[in-house]
Amino acid sequence: MPGTGTAPEVHDNLVLEPRDVKFDWSQLPLHWIPDEPFATHTINVLHLLLPEGERWFVRVFKDALPMITDEQLREEVLGFIGQEAIHAQAHEEVLEHLLSQGLDPRPYVRQLAWLFQRVLGERPGLSARQRRENVIERVAFVAAIEHFTAFLGNWALNSPGLDRAQADPTMLDLLRWHGAEEVEHRSVAYDLMVHLDPGYLRRIRGMMVSGPLLVRLWVRGVRFLLAADPTLHGRIRPSWLAARSAAERGMLPDPVQSLRSGLRYLKRGYHPTQEGSSAQALSYLATSPAARAAVAR
Amino acid sequence: MDHTTLPESASLLPDLYGRPQADRFMRHLTAFGDRYTPALGSLGLRRSPRLPEQPRSLPALVLVVTGHRPVAEDVVELRLADPSGDLLPRWQPGAHLRLTLPSGRERHYSLCGDPADRRSYRIAVRRLPDGGGGSLEIHDELHLGVRLTVRRPRNGFPFCGEQKLLLLAGGIGVTPLLPIAREAGRRGLDWHLVYAGRSAETMPFTEELRALAPERVSLLVGRVPSGAELLERARPGSAVYCCGPAPMLSAVQRALDASPAGALHFERFAAAPIVDGKPFTVQLGADGLTLDVAADRSALDVLREARPDLPYSCHQGFCGTCRVQLLAGTPDHRDRRLTSEERADGALLPCVSRAAEGEHLVLDI
Repeated sequence: MPGTGTAPEVHDNLVLEPRDVKFDWSQLPLHWIPDEPFATHTINVLHLLLPEGERWFVRVFKDALPMITDEQLREEVLGFIGQEAIHAQAHEEVLEHLLSQGLDPRPYVRQLAWLFQRVLGERPGLSARQRRENVIERVAFVAAIEHFTAFLGNWALNSPGLDRAQADPTMLDLLRWHGAEEVEHRSVAYDLMVHLDPGYLRRIRGMMVSGPLLVRLWVRGVRFLLAADPTLHGRIRPSWLAARSAAERGMLPDPVQSLRSGLRYLKRGYHPTQEGSSAQALSYLATSPAARAAVAR
Repeated sequence: MDHTTLPESASLLPDLYGRPQADRFMRHLTAFGDRYTPALGSLGLRRSPRLPEQPRSLPALVLVVTGHRPVAEDVVELRLADPSGDLLPRWQPGAHLRLTLPSGRERHYSLCGDPADRRSYRIAVRRLPDGGGGSLEIHDELHLGVRLTVRRPRNGFPFCGEQKLLLLAGGIGVTPLLPIAREAGRRGLDWHLVYAGRSAETMPFTEELRALAPERVSLLVGRVPSGAELLERARPGSAVYCCGPAPMLSAVQRALDASPAGALHFERFAAAPIVDGKPFTVQLGADGLTLDVAADRSALDVLREARPDLPYSCHQGFCGTCRVQLLAGTPDHRDRRLTSEERADGALLPCVSRAAEGEHLVLDI
């Protein structure tokens, strides 16, 4: 793994910038972890969730911009917005590739569009205070979700099991490039939330709502993809046992560890910099084929 | 994916498996959202006014010039310290400062001193007669005792401490690499620095670098080295840190794949120079203010002066954050994000896109 052997450390006051990456999916096999449709589709849920989800992050953060009174935080938020916009685009292209391989993701994506545009979207008839509180509440949802994306990003950067299983190198680069940027910007949403509302209640509400929702969406996504995969004929059904087994072979993050990570978010003294290593993430970004090609454009 | 067509209500949202029934989970989520959203703002579901404001960052520093001396032909070294001698904020190798000069110009310079020295910051500035005047002001008008507003250090070129390092410096680009080399030495890493410059007289800090480890520093003087030449000392898995003029960075990027080096770090400078720009005007809304966009400025920079909350991110026309809607006028699209359909619908990225000379663009802002 690139980046191993670097001391875990925090980089202070990083300047965040989006990277103009491109991936070529034309050669991607449907089961990009060979002979592991369950693990493949469990990770594929990311491609379902992220385009709609990250575009929603971008809308929430654009709404929050006028409320920011701190110059450094504002710059970090702008860098975050640009990175998230590129992430959404990159994962969207995978969805198009799935469709071309006969797996139609649109029923699930339509439900997510409903969730992020209607349920969590703008609503008419709210007072100025309600609107402001809704923006802050959504920032708290994003901050909690970003805790998980940083956890997953850190896992992706330290997942030799995927290399051992000979997962598709372009997909590995997408997961690790995205994961590295999530680790790189892991504090931004949290710092924004604390800037807008330092209250502990806001933080736990953010996790209490979005944590279980994320788990539920993920489970639904795995079940949906396994059923929609035209080569499986509904033979494989998801189970926590299968997830544990794939995790033991290093192909998925451990569900129990993921749950524990979510609980750490509730600790009083929590800060996102306590998890993951900026040095490892940044050194991966310097080796990532896609990020390196972005440099040359 | 096409998701522009959403149904009227959650009960019309199709089931995931094509069954002729509404999705219960989505219905419940929607009902939850319908109660939750308007409830926010009521007691217990709002920011407590008793909690103090929490600024993310601390205010800018006011520092005094305590050193101003030439260190090479056309290069001055500046030392800045707290007026009352207090310790300065910590920084890490690769970090830079933004100075606000007495004229109001703002300039970024890499810190080139030792992070362990908490009493002063050191930067080095090359005189650029054709620049925007900032370097001339520093060379000719700043003197000992002048006070400057200085933003706290930020880092756009972070050092990750890889085991094998190749540091490539071009001219004044040596400044951030000096503290990186020092840190690499301190951590006992295997590093080598290649330092290219026009002539020995114009290259600052050569002695200081040699004092760190003479065998780890090579100078390439008097010619422009090729990318392959710069990367000659790369070994399998070397991490390259490159700082120098844009042509040098592109040469290294092009030669990277053919070299055994594993990683390339460089400092990204947000906005690319405007090529072949002509002056034009933008109007904020159908009956709004009209602003002039000079040939050497982006429409985004001009718009941001009038609308400071306008979102933007990459400055290079690829992320789409600054997207605005065009109401009238013919733009010159220079982004690489928008599709031809989006352009036909009037989308525009003002960070890079412009218009012909004298053209008037009306934007929905």
